[in-house]
Amino acid sequence: MLLAFTVATALTLAGCGPEVERGEGAPDADVHRLEIWAHAGREEERRTLEAQIDRFRAERSEVRIDLTWIPEGSYNGQVQAAALAGRLPDLLEFDGPYLYSYAWQGHLRPLDDLLPEEIHADLLPSILAQGRYRDHLYGLGTFDSGLGLWANRARLEAANARIPGGPDDAWDAEEFSDLLERLAQDDPDGQVLDLKLNYTGEWFSYAFAPLLQSAGGDLVDREPEGVASGTLDGPESVAAMTAVQSWIRQGRVDPNLDDAAFARGRVPLAWGGHWNYPGYRAALGEDLLLLPLPRMDETMVTGQGSWQWGVTRRARDPELAMDFLAFLLRPEEVLAMSEANGGVPATRAAVARSEAYGAEGPLHLFARQLEEGYARPRPRTPAYPVISDAFDRAFQDIRHGTDPAAALSAAARRIDRELRENHHYPEITGERGERGERGDTHKATRDQHQNRAVGQIGVDAKEAPVGGQPLGEGLPPFGRREGSPPTSDGHAG
Amino acid sequence: MNRWPRLRAALAYALLLAFTLLFVAPVLFMLVGSLKPDELVLAEAGTLRAFFPDTISLDNYRAVFERVPFGLYLASSLIINGLIVGLGLLVNAFAGYALARLRWWGREAMLALVLAVLVIPFEAIAIPLFYQLSWIGWRDDWLVQAIPFVANPLAIFLFYSFFLGLPRELEEAARVDGAGVLRTFFVIVVPNAKAAFASVAIVLFLFHWGMYLWPLLMTTSEAVRPLPLGIANFHTLPPLQWGDIMAFGVLMVLPVLILFVVFQRWFVRGVASTGIKG
Amino acid sequence: MRDEGIVRERIPRGAPVNRPMRYSQAPAAWLLMTPALAGLLLFLLLPFGLAVVLSFSNLRMGSPLPLEFVGLANYTLAFTDTGLTRALLNNLLFALVVVPVQTALGLALALLLNRPLAGRAVFRTLFFLPVVFPLSLVAVVWVLIFAPGPDGLLNAALGLLTFGGWEPRDFLNDPFWALPAVMLTSIWQGVGFQMVVLLAGLQAIPRQLYEAAAVDGASRWRQFLHVTLPGLRNPLIFVVIVTTILSFRVFDQVRIMTRGGPQDASNTVIHEMVRTAFDQGHVAMGAAMSVVFFLVILGIALVQRRLLRQRGEVS
Repeated sequence: MLLAFTVATALTLAGCGPEVERGEGAPDADVHRLEIWAHAGREEERRTLEAQIDRFRAERSEVRIDLTWIPEGSYNGQVQAAALAGRLPDLLEFDGPYLYSYAWQGHLRPLDDLLPEEIHADLLPSILAQGRYRDHLYGLGTFDSGLGLWANRARLEAANARIPGGPDDAWDAEEFSDLLERLAQDDPDGQVLDLKLNYTGEWFSYAFAPLLQSAGGDLVDREPEGVASGTLDGPESVAAMTAVQSWIRQGRVDPNLDDAAFARGRVPLAWGGHWNYPGYRAALGEDLLLLPLPRMDETMVTGQGSWQWGVTRRARDPELAMDFLAFLLRPEEVLAMSEANGGVPATRAAVARSEAYGAEGPLHLFARQLEEGYARPRPRTPAYPVISDAFDRAFQDIRHGTDPAAALSAAARRIDRELRENHHYPEITGERGERGERGDTHKATRDQHQNRAVGQIGVDAKEAPVGGQPLGEGLPPFGRREGSPPTSDGHAG
Repeated sequence: MNRWPRLRAALAYALLLAFTLLFVAPVLFMLVGSLKPDELVLAEAGTLRAFFPDTISLDNYRAVFERVPFGLYLASSLIINGLIVGLGLLVNAFAGYALARLRWWGREAMLALVLAVLVIPFEAIAIPLFYQLSWIGWRDDWLVQAIPFVANPLAIFLFYSFFLGLPRELEEAARVDGAGVLRTFFVIVVPNAKAAFASVAIVLFLFHWGMYLWPLLMTTSEAVRPLPLGIANFHTLPPLQWGDIMAFGVLMVLPVLILFVVFQRWFVRGVASTGIKG
Repeated sequence: MRDEGIVRERIPRGAPVNRPMRYSQAPAAWLLMTPALAGLLLFLLLPFGLAVVLSFSNLRMGSPLPLEFVGLANYTLAFTDTGLTRALLNNLLFALVVVPVQTALGLALALLLNRPLAGRAVFRTLFFLPVVFPLSLVAVVWVLIFAPGPDGLLNAALGLLTFGGWEPRDFLNDPFWALPAVMLTSIWQGVGFQMVVLLAGLQAIPRQLYEAAAVDGASRWRQFLHVTLPGLRNPLIFVVIVTTILSFRVFDQVRIMTRGGPQDASNTVIHEMVRTAFDQGHVAMGAAMSVVFFLVILGIALVQRRLLRQRGEVS
């Protein structure tokens, strides 16, 4: 065993040899260095962020920014792996579903004390809602998402459909089912609705949880945090999923494998989001309508949430990270990103100036849904990825004919087991997150400063080893027991 | 028996052509798809246009080079696979030789060990191994993507069976001349075992060229990511750009194809020898 | 596994070199063995041992909770609350179908190419071509081939072949077709390997054996049974072993083509394991699954070995 580890360490040292310089500047340069990870989205999105970094640097020439693109397809895996190895950047972008587990795991630093008041006041309520975990704000998006129904105006008019005027005027369940049948009569294959069944994973929770919520159910009970039994498999949620199943069973839903059911005119109605707009607009022109989702009971509910930024506990200079975020949240920068990726601008000032989302814009409905409280954030619990996966599985089963009550109750059991096994995610106070600081001895004062800020949520400053040795970095949770002594012997601070 | 030799030959050709169609169609489909606009890849899949496009363009390839630092990833992949194959040949041939030809205490136990670990799939240990290496802080370089795969029970087993089948006389002659074990190995055994080396090299290369899970866990830096991770760049928000994905696929398989065409004789002979000697 | 048969033929048990040694070979042997041994210990056995230990814990990726000993909880839950049981059955079914079909097909292709036909090198190359494709890429291509509706490549081809009698389906989303679709993809990708191995085996069978059989008046079929098959014993065993191991490792295709669905119809053990440990971060449960999986494989290997040994001793 000992021999084994010696050999492994020797290999490691050999491995580090030629690589050691990569990404590490001289210690002194660290003071104004900002390491950023962002998701490698589409071309325009990446170009925009790069341009934004250049513009920020034009104002703050002393700052050096290192940007790493992480492919979207493997983002969370890479973050978890890097977190385990103690190699997170200063500023981290992440998708909405993961905020709560990153926050609970102690990778993120609360932003409350850093966020300027005027920006806070300008942000859309949906952004503040999704960024909050327990009593702190951990994430800030510069854009949000919009979920709705895309419709073909000509086909609806031919079927004499009532066209809803706003989020408060949505079709109810019965009206919607009737409409599907009427539309089907004039359709060659009877398939008139695109639910984006070709998408995978998170889409199903994002797009269909609102239907459950509108019916009075939900994925999990929001108070106390996140029990699924009785909610996910309650009668309201079952009713909502039964409705979805009946649309599929009656052959109204196009499988959409080519992702073009709506754009090619095979269906007149499509569940979808803001990202569909450019393609749909090009295909349908003036016939394209954006409508609210159907409501299952009194009010319509829709989805929200997208990529956002968080400052990690490892950030060497949290103020600098926030300066950069504040820069990204300036109206013109928010607009630039919104134009690049089509997302809903995250601030009211930017929405007002946006051609697409402003009062007269074609996508104004999305902004209204977010501003007026129709959008509901995902369950704010570290269990969300498990909840989403369980619901995805249930959705697929229901799609293929499993009884909705049975499928949902299996999912609920799965989620509740996860909660139990994690002891309902107790608050973690301890040395975590302060571990594995980069090895430079110049930052003792900065660390003290940082601990003061972090101290609010009970991080025990005396447990924070600084000047971490390579071997102290990236300990898996064994090393992270509460109250265990710091494993690193490098108390350089 | 050979009353209708022509008929038999015609029948054989007909069968061969039918199989050829089955084997080549998907490859052709990919190649053609990579030359078409994204939305047509699926739309035309049910028609002959899937194989005979009316227009072709290299736009998808341009997109691939814009979205993925292809040269960088390719270089990493070549370095990683070079290390695995290079070191793997040496290390596993050593072990195979010791197991097949030398007399030593522990030989039987080692042979049993090699056969036992043969059935452990890498995916089953990937995450514990990931923890293990995170402990010592080793990640995000080329070596961590190669070293764990150097010692390979299948490769040891292949060498072992091959060396068993080599005639013993040459080695004995060398030994009578006073050559040590290592000298005998390098001077006599290696030159006579080219087919075994070729086949193990090929097996190691084919197994690891498409590796995805491990680099996903172990790398973050652009500079050390291998090619298969590039595909993750295309799994963005829908619509999926099938044309780009096909183009990336063609580019990813191209280096292997070139190797295959150049070393075809060795490929086939090497793979074949694994079976006969086994 | 069947390696017993291979090994037995050539090693006189316990005495690989039965001649007087002038000096001990042990130091040299250990020198040669050590690098590989270190690699196997560090990167296979140690992590597997770690998996065994972790399977009794509550470890989740990134969890800040203290590590706890949970006894056999992960094992019982793995069978009751996850897709493991179904996945094991699927793996078994996969092996039962793919191993014989792929081997038979490989043998058929090898027999076809073992005749003096013009251009057989070209055919051999073409049949071998898919082997050099990474599985992940093959899977993506086949997703498109299996596309649903009459416009899907396979649906359209089948429609053409049956003169419109084929009812188009959504293969990868059909509980009946999903697993066969994954099987077909695997066979397409792997059969060239079998073919080349078996072809070489065929060419190593001495021609005189056939001539003698023909003189005895044996039909082609009897020649095949009594000359070809026995002559191919070793290549066949090799091919069967490799294919069996690979069919228990099926992962890439499932991950990309069906994600184990629908309703777990195409789930496999490795896929369930990766999904549990990696997607859901439940490392301990994933570890328990890999231990179960290893035991199952070991069981199959031991049974196979016993069966083969008995038969081997008779012959």
